[in-house]
Amino acid sequence: MKCVRCLVGEASVVAKAPDGSGAWEIYKCARCNFGWRSTEPESITDPAKRDPFFQLDKVDLNNLIIPCPIPPLRS
Amino acid sequence: MFKDLRSFLKKLEEEGQLVHYHDEVLPEPGIRAIMRGSADLGATGPAVLIHNIKGYKGRKLVVNVHGSWANHAIMLGMPKTASLKEQFFELERRWDKYPGEVKWVTGAPCQEVVLDSFNLLELLPMHKVNEHDGGFYLSKASVVSKDPDEPDNFDKENVGIYRLQVQDANTIAMQGLPFHDIAIQMRKAEAKNEPLPVAICLGVDPMLSFMASTPIAYDLSEYKYNSALTGIPMELTKTTDGFLDVPAGAEYVLEGEILPRVRVPEGPFGEFPGSYSGARQQVVIKVKRVTHRTDPIFENLYLGRPWTEIDTLLGLNTCIPIYKQIKETMPEVKAVNALYQHGLTAIIATDSRFGGYAKSVAFRAASTPHGISYVKNIILVDGDVDPFDLVQVMWAMSTRIRGPQDVIVIPSTPGMPLDPGSEPPGMGCKVIIDATTPVAPEPKMRDVKMVGHIPEAAAFQKIISDLHQKAGCRL
Ligand SMILES: [Zn+2]
Repeated sequence: MKCVRCLVGEASVVAKAPDGSGAWEIYKCARCNFGWRSTEPESITDPAKRDPFFQLDKVDLNNLIIPCPIPPLRS
Repeated sequence: MFKDLRSFLKKLEEEGQLVHYHDEVLPEPGIRAIMRGSADLGATGPAVLIHNIKGYKGRKLVVNVHGSWANHAIMLGMPKTASLKEQFFELERRWDKYPGEVKWVTGAPCQEVVLDSFNLLELLPMHKVNEHDGGFYLSKASVVSKDPDEPDNFDKENVGIYRLQVQDANTIAMQGLPFHDIAIQMRKAEAKNEPLPVAICLGVDPMLSFMASTPIAYDLSEYKYNSALTGIPMELTKTTDGFLDVPAGAEYVLEGEILPRVRVPEGPFGEFPGSYSGARQQVVIKVKRVTHRTDPIFENLYLGRPWTEIDTLLGLNTCIPIYKQIKETMPEVKAVNALYQHGLTAIIATDSRFGGYAKSVAFRAASTPHGISYVKNIILVDGDVDPFDLVQVMWAMSTRIRGPQDVIVIPSTPGMPLDPGSEPPGMGCKVIIDATTPVAPEPKMRDVKMVGHIPEAAAFQKIISDLHQKAGCRL
């Protein structure tokens, strides 16, 4: 399944309702790490209905802010 | 006083400050609706223990534990009606008791169950705290870590609350900001290309959550402060590998390590200013083992548009260090109210030693360790104005401010990156609003006399209130 946020990454099931009820599954994108539950509303789970402000389809993830940059190696 | 979350919840229940919710609720949007609704009950709202989450049958979640000033007062062992100002001065008094004693125990409750195989997203009743969060967050976890260069220095063992995105069965992305204590430790470990061991503690005693979110100096121990504030020795135990010290009574402890020199996408997350912070590249924690109490209770916190639990949790612990640091050299300062967005706005009550003095107090506030990045809007009021009473503060501002002399903007100072007004993130300004009465040699305001207090009124307030209740009013 394609990720609903970055539209590129591959999303897979990372959790299922632990009580065995089959109530929901949780998916996670391997690329942008977006996580969502199958029972969330379409405004979260359907790319066409998601708020474009929160989409990451036109963003180079390598250019996201790095609050704590990796320091130089100390020998 | 309370040595663990459970004993605090018991006390809250006795005081009518904990309620149980038994109807089935969907993780989204049900849980955040309960969190928001209980926060909106204001200064007297209860904690809520949620028993029946769809798909997580048998798992318990407690929210809004610090969600009101009534619960905050009970945490301090005070009557639940204690005013904010009374709670401020009680905390201020106990602050000087640092360092308190800590003790180590074996066979700790937090290790009654040990799991080497787990899925965090199934073990914990996770939920989206806000609608557009990038995933499922631990919003009230105390993260324990040591200084890699001084692992035996107990005082430098850090306990801090940082936002944690649980991404899959055992992977958590963490936001550490450069001015956070854990960032010092991350930098040292990464420079050596070594993992940094961490213990993520969930459901700890209420004063430890309070201390873990308090800005104190790097070499001061949150655990010893906790003992000083509660008056009972903090009970610690070693993580199962014997390296870190964790609260013996924690509901859950997630043992793991921060991977060196790795960053992954994390966020967005609805943050304490009431805005979403964007997606970021953050550090990664791999969790290796989980320990928990029998029948554990997961605790999480709502934050968003104020007022929410985080505003109460971060409220007085932001005020006290700033007050103490200013007071050291400026004894005229009477109280500091920095309740708003972790101190982005602060109101300081002070007498004036001489003309212009209040502005010097503002400079001091802006240069305290927390003030450098956070304290942006600084409002000065006279020493006889209660800075926690916004009616009094607005009165002072309405009647004392002379725009040209009393409103000062200092541009291009450090700023708090999560503040939407910080542009670029990390840069900001200081706004000083001096609403104190001028003293010599500054020229007086027009020759006006303020109306005085009426000392006889307090007794009549009680009489009228009793008559009011007899007349049928239920407050
Ligand atoms: Zn994605």
